[in-house]
Amino acid sequence: MSHNKSLRVAAAAVALALAGTTGFAMAAQVPAGVKLAAKQELTRNTGSEPESLDPVLAESVPANTITADLFEGLTATDSFGKVMPGVAESWKQTSPTTWVFKLRKNAKWSDGSAVTASDFVYGWQRFVEPKTASPYASTYGIFIQNGKEITEGKKPASSLGVKAVDKYTLEVQTPYPVPFMPSLVANTQLAPLPKATIDKFGKDWTKPGKMVSNGAFALKDWQVNSKIVVEKNAQYWDLKNVQLAKITYLPIEDHNADVKLYESGENDWVLELPSGTYDKYKAQYPKEIRNAPFLGLRYYSLNNKDPLLKDVRVRKALSMVLDRDILAKKVTADGQSPAYSAIVTGTAGADVTSYDWVKWPMAKRVEEAKKLLAEAGVKPGTKLKFAYNTSDYHKKMAIFAASEWKSKLGLNTELESLEFKVLLKKRHDADYQIARNGWNADYNDATTFLALVQCDNDQNDNKNCNAKAEALIKQGSDTTDQAKRKQLFTQAVKMIMDDYPMIPLLQYTAPRLVKSYVGGYGKNPMDRYRGKDLYIIQH
Amino acid sequence: MWSYTFRRVLATIPTLLAVITVCYLLLHLTPGGPFDGERKVSAAVLANLQAKYHLDLPLWQQYLYYIKSLLQGDLGASFRYADWSVNDLVGKALPVSAAIGGGAIVISLFIGVALGIVAALRQNSLIDYLVMLLGNIGGAFPSFVLGPVLVMVFAIGLEWLPAGGWDDFALRYMVLPMALLVFINISTIGRVMRGSMIEVLGSNFIRTARAKGLPMRTIVLRHALKPALMPVVSVIGPLAISSITAAVVTETVFGLPGLGKLIVNGAANRDYTLVLGLVVLVTVITVVLNLLVDLAYALLDPKIRY
Amino acid sequence: MMQSKQKAMTAALDNSLADAAVEGRSLWRDARVRFFRNKAAVLSLIVLALITLACIFGPMVLPHTYEDTDWDAMGIAPTLANTHWFGTDALGRDLLVRCLIGGRISLMVGALATIASVALGIVWGATAGFMGGKVDSLMMRIVDMMYAVPYLLIAILMVTLLGRDFYLVVLTITVFSWMDMARVVRGQTLAIKSKEYVEAAHAIGVSTPKIIFRHIVPNLLGIVVIYTTVTVPGVILTESVLSFLGLGVQEPMTSWGVLIQDGAGVMDASPWILLFPAGLLSVTLYCANYIGDGLRDALDPKDR
Repeated sequence: MSHNKSLRVAAAAVALALAGTTGFAMAAQVPAGVKLAAKQELTRNTGSEPESLDPVLAESVPANTITADLFEGLTATDSFGKVMPGVAESWKQTSPTTWVFKLRKNAKWSDGSAVTASDFVYGWQRFVEPKTASPYASTYGIFIQNGKEITEGKKPASSLGVKAVDKYTLEVQTPYPVPFMPSLVANTQLAPLPKATIDKFGKDWTKPGKMVSNGAFALKDWQVNSKIVVEKNAQYWDLKNVQLAKITYLPIEDHNADVKLYESGENDWVLELPSGTYDKYKAQYPKEIRNAPFLGLRYYSLNNKDPLLKDVRVRKALSMVLDRDILAKKVTADGQSPAYSAIVTGTAGADVTSYDWVKWPMAKRVEEAKKLLAEAGVKPGTKLKFAYNTSDYHKKMAIFAASEWKSKLGLNTELESLEFKVLLKKRHDADYQIARNGWNADYNDATTFLALVQCDNDQNDNKNCNAKAEALIKQGSDTTDQAKRKQLFTQAVKMIMDDYPMIPLLQYTAPRLVKSYVGGYGKNPMDRYRGKDLYIIQH
Repeated sequence: MWSYTFRRVLATIPTLLAVITVCYLLLHLTPGGPFDGERKVSAAVLANLQAKYHLDLPLWQQYLYYIKSLLQGDLGASFRYADWSVNDLVGKALPVSAAIGGGAIVISLFIGVALGIVAALRQNSLIDYLVMLLGNIGGAFPSFVLGPVLVMVFAIGLEWLPAGGWDDFALRYMVLPMALLVFINISTIGRVMRGSMIEVLGSNFIRTARAKGLPMRTIVLRHALKPALMPVVSVIGPLAISSITAAVVTETVFGLPGLGKLIVNGAANRDYTLVLGLVVLVTVITVVLNLLVDLAYALLDPKIRY
Repeated sequence: MMQSKQKAMTAALDNSLADAAVEGRSLWRDARVRFFRNKAAVLSLIVLALITLACIFGPMVLPHTYEDTDWDAMGIAPTLANTHWFGTDALGRDLLVRCLIGGRISLMVGALATIASVALGIVWGATAGFMGGKVDSLMMRIVDMMYAVPYLLIAILMVTLLGRDFYLVVLTITVFSWMDMARVVRGQTLAIKSKEYVEAAHAIGVSTPKIIFRHIVPNLLGIVVIYTTVTVPGVILTESVLSFLGLGVQEPMTSWGVLIQDGAGVMDASPWILLFPAGLLSVTLYCANYIGDGLRDALDPKDR
């Protein structure tokens, strides 16, 4: 990334933050001096076959990667995670619970018709409609007035808090202040949808030749389990800033096969390096290795209802003896950073918390942990049960943890490798003692991570609950004062983490190989790179 | 033989019904459902999803519903791949697997039989040992090791062939996966052929032929080959079934859109309809291939009657 | 392990052959003489015995344990300088000890599951082939069904319902592996059934089980021995799949299948993690193959 470009992006961000309501287009701006290749074609691996190209049914990373190129919401995020204008050219929070978006008049569908506010109303209503059964319906729906009730079938979809004031003005009502609304609506689950096309073709509307979309790219070809091809959308409003003519997405699941295709020149973008190979490829392809942290947390869930683990002293002891530095530098060895909080670095809306023992020498930590275990009446030789799902990465980390608990505390860990769905079931049912867990942010706000440790949250596998912290979170959610909200959330996280409900371990990074001629790659905190921001440098 | 074939085809129906029932129960007994994900969906969303796929009905009603649509040739909608019907998915994967697996088995048959004959004619000589050493590579090294080695040599080292992928039956994408399957298959075919050829060559009628002074070439091709092929035909059945329907490793290593990976992913995703659809297909393929094998017995050995 | 399996098998062959139609000659003694004339087979037997002994006694005398991690010696290549002669794995565990410990599991699973699935396959296939008609149809349709049922589901269900257990692993692998043998044996039985001596035995009123076990099975031995050795690699590798699903051995315990699976993931970066276990497995399999061919040749009544 050239210095020039990052400066310009930073300047844009500042301008956006100051102006708030001014809209301007800026994407895939190629730094001066960079020569573009004549052939602007990119092949990238998305990791598996997308479950759907219908934006409201998309759930996995591969599906979202592709729908983000095919569709564009009110806003979008660039390669650095900055919120950019999308179909909306400006927006304003007119009351604590009202947002008004002004749509650009030149936004078009790939069939040439105009994208209007009613396309958003239709899309959002379809999104929360129970019959659609979108997996994200509650995740994002709860932030729109009546969204929760509609998903539960208690109110009709027409009651959703979204309204087309006129053809190019969209008004959104929220049940409580949602300060991250501009970032939330960048998700393509909240993109506009082409009603006429969907009515005409039904479920088949996502097929090549039928799909009408409003993003920078349009669907060209879809060979199930083999490839998906999109081409530049000639009707796109910001066409002059779209460099790529064609993107091919591959559904390669096997990390080694991914690298092999890359090395043989059939793939420009390795999604994820095989575990244990980062150093090798970093040395072999120093110009092509890319690695940026993103908003994801690797952690171990502790079952707070378990007879042994319901004692906070035991949970604390287990957490404090795990040497995250060794884990990050030597075991996983791919640039991930140690984590000690439910919130990871870069998350908006709360600060990262830590523990005082982090700075202690390990010997002191072990001594303290032993003392805690003794107080709790846990004797060396006590058995722990640890469940994880099979991947080289998870396995390595599990063996590390078991080894640490054994050598430092004398506890015997029985490792149990499970098929993924079996682990999920056990975790959700709290039918485990210690379990591998992980979370990637859905949107850049602390609430996405708070869900992991909040009372009775669907995502809380630890089954912990801190009522005092819960009150603080409620208080923070209701305030419109951003500084106050952040302070309350941070305080709540600190409080919860002092209960040791789970063991935070590492913040995710995305170690991958991307050909040096692929330009526009940044450091997106959500690890989302749109084709619009990418270009091929002459090579 | 025609009436036998007809009876066998008829017998497919109860077989299918039994397989579907067993798998249906298996799927519903297996922990974890189609909508369990790292992000747990809320109770309301789960209810909506279950209603969409009729999972809210009692099990027997779902079963009848499935059988009814199956009778109309509809394998249902995939739970995982929301934009496709199971018919679509299966219809796209089958030709790929049939081409690669079927092609591989034919090639393996020729190579395997040739290797077996050569080794048998030079029994316990250095040539025998060497042929068996080479022929057994596919049996002695796991395919998930052999596959990447092929890729490293032919795709990345020599740059002769693509490392993987699929492009509408273009031959260059089919060579390496077929080669891997051939390696695996000839290790079985070659050894079975060697054994049975040695056995036949030692039998009385061959000795008589040799005593008459017939050339070895004639003896092997005219007289010994047919009886010696009998056990080979027996193993071809299972090999063909696994090459076509269960080439999971091959499909993973080379990123092929085939049946094997679809079955494994279907089971892993608890994609009930997709798994059942594939089970139906695999049963039909198995029955047909085994029927062909049984008919081949009768061709090779006129004494076998059904 | 393998050796004892072979012994058990040859003992079984001995018994059945002693009863077999070809009586009056000491068939077994001839076979033994012929087998030991086969250099490849004898060499293989010796190598296999050495590997087995190393797996049994090696971990007892080597300086490292299979489970001790060493954060200061992670993923080091084999050298003579330290005591990690096979190098270490990604967590600093000694690869030599892990290969030997893994060999114990793999050889044991390989032997037991192979014997079980071969036995089941022979009985099933010989019965179906000999009985013919409706019985054959029913038995073979069950085999057809077994090919279609996704193994992943059975394995997950097994571990969920029955928990984790070594013999359950053997049972599960057997459930997945017996059908090929059944089909092959049935095919051969059909051919043998129509031979004169079987028809003769039938005509003089020998009972069906007696015909199957005295006349059919001994004549199947050639192909059975060969197909048995073909079954071994599949059985050993299936165990590693079961480990993934929580049914097979769990870390830090290991098996060759698991070690190879781990090694295959890093074959570019740290090849020795793959090469040692894969080498041990393939040497073992080659030995089994040559012994199998040798046994087949030795037992072939026409070949002398």
